[in-house]
Amino acid sequence: MYQPDWSILLGEAGRLLLDGALVTLELSGFALVLALLLGFLFGVLRWSEIRLLRPVCWLYVEFLRNTPPLVQLLFWYFSATVILPTSVVMVLRDYGFQFVAAVFALGLYHSGFIAEIVRGGLNAIPRGQYEAAEAIGFGFPHTVRYILLPQLLRIIAPSLVNETVSLVKNTSLALAIGVADITYQARYIDYATFRGVEALTAVTVFYLVLCSSIAGLGHYLQRRLSRNRRTAT
Amino acid sequence: MNWDLVFTENNIRRLLIGDYPVSLGGVALTVELSLIGMVFATLLGFLVGYLRFAGPRPVRWLAGGYVELLRNIPLLVLVFWAYFAPPYFGFKPTKFSSVLLAIVLFNAAYIAEVVRSGLLSVPVGQIEAARAIGLSPLQQALYVMLPVAAFNTIPAMTGRYITLLKGTSLAFLIGLSEVTEIGRQINNRLLTAPIEVYATLLVIYFCLNRTLSALMRLLEDRRRFNRVFCLFVR
Repeated sequence: MYQPDWSILLGEAGRLLLDGALVTLELSGFALVLALLLGFLFGVLRWSEIRLLRPVCWLYVEFLRNTPPLVQLLFWYFSATVILPTSVVMVLRDYGFQFVAAVFALGLYHSGFIAEIVRGGLNAIPRGQYEAAEAIGFGFPHTVRYILLPQLLRIIAPSLVNETVSLVKNTSLALAIGVADITYQARYIDYATFRGVEALTAVTVFYLVLCSSIAGLGHYLQRRLSRNRRTAT
Repeated sequence: MNWDLVFTENNIRRLLIGDYPVSLGGVALTVELSLIGMVFATLLGFLVGYLRFAGPRPVRWLAGGYVELLRNIPLLVLVFWAYFAPPYFGFKPTKFSSVLLAIVLFNAAYIAEVVRSGLLSVPVGQIEAARAIGLSPLQQALYVMLPVAAFNTIPAMTGRYITLLKGTSLAFLIGLSEVTEIGRQINNRLLTAPIEVYATLLVIYFCLNRTLSALMRLLEDRRRFNRVFCLFVR
């Protein structure tokens, strides 16, 4: 029977896992920002129903959502060296080419889902409200600030939190292109020391704590948002 | 663009069926893995979802714990658990069974949540009526709650099945020769056409998933759904 030796997590292996955890957090953060930016952009474009953009937005969202994030990751990573000019590739190398590719691929993948969430949220706000805002003399910035955003955020907050959890989990895929995140470190420790069970346990606990706290934060926010809600009745 | 390098007869055959007479691979293996995964994930998901909804309190907590645990761990970590951990305990699983186990456990947790919300959508009056005419709990579940809940969950299930199919691509990280692994092998041999190879893979997955959601949409017709449902539950 296998005897686990948990003390290895306090030594070199623990340091590697900590490094990996930091990379996972950084990757999640950057990818989330990119996903939110692109997601809101394409969500608004899909909602606006500009005829020329409609097929483009449809293709963007459907293609991103119907293909595996892992294959997208490999696609962007291997294509980047071909598409980008050599000078850009050289600069990116200095900043961790794999890391940048992973941020780009994961951000793009999740932006497809966020775009659908945003579109759904925007569709849930009755058009009459914009007309009402216009009728009482609100300009565009005021309509967005006081009519659109407060409602939109309340509607999409739970889905956005779910998507964030999903994004954090998907950062583990980055090991396929050699980003040294926490899952990668667990594999490395398994190769190097034959202590895979301990390392995998640590990684599992890490993801469990991270993802549950994000989900918990989401529940808290949702309660806060619905408490301040004022209904028109 | 070197499309003709990618689409040689040999490459196309390998992408579709792998090294078939020796071992099944490629799209065929992806589809096989997905279909078996869907069946077992659905069964387990319905069981856990039902227990979370109607089980005795300790069982309900247990089912809830299972869902929360599995939903907060990456699928990749589960795949690694299923493939790299058993040898430590003197047991060597096959690659296929490891990936299948991970996919089933992972997606069953999500399906359980979908099923639970489906069960919550069953009107209480129907359950009370079933109890009033003396149906046993199993009969209530099978003949009253299941048809309504299953029908209401079809759109959410479609999303889950698509995620499941996409998740099978992770199998390549432990070297199972499904379509992503074959694509990677072709890319490694060519080295000059990464865009073409991976774009081909993306298109393959896109077509598989669009086919899947089109098939699921057929079930959104009430009468067609009932015919299919009666094949399984008598």
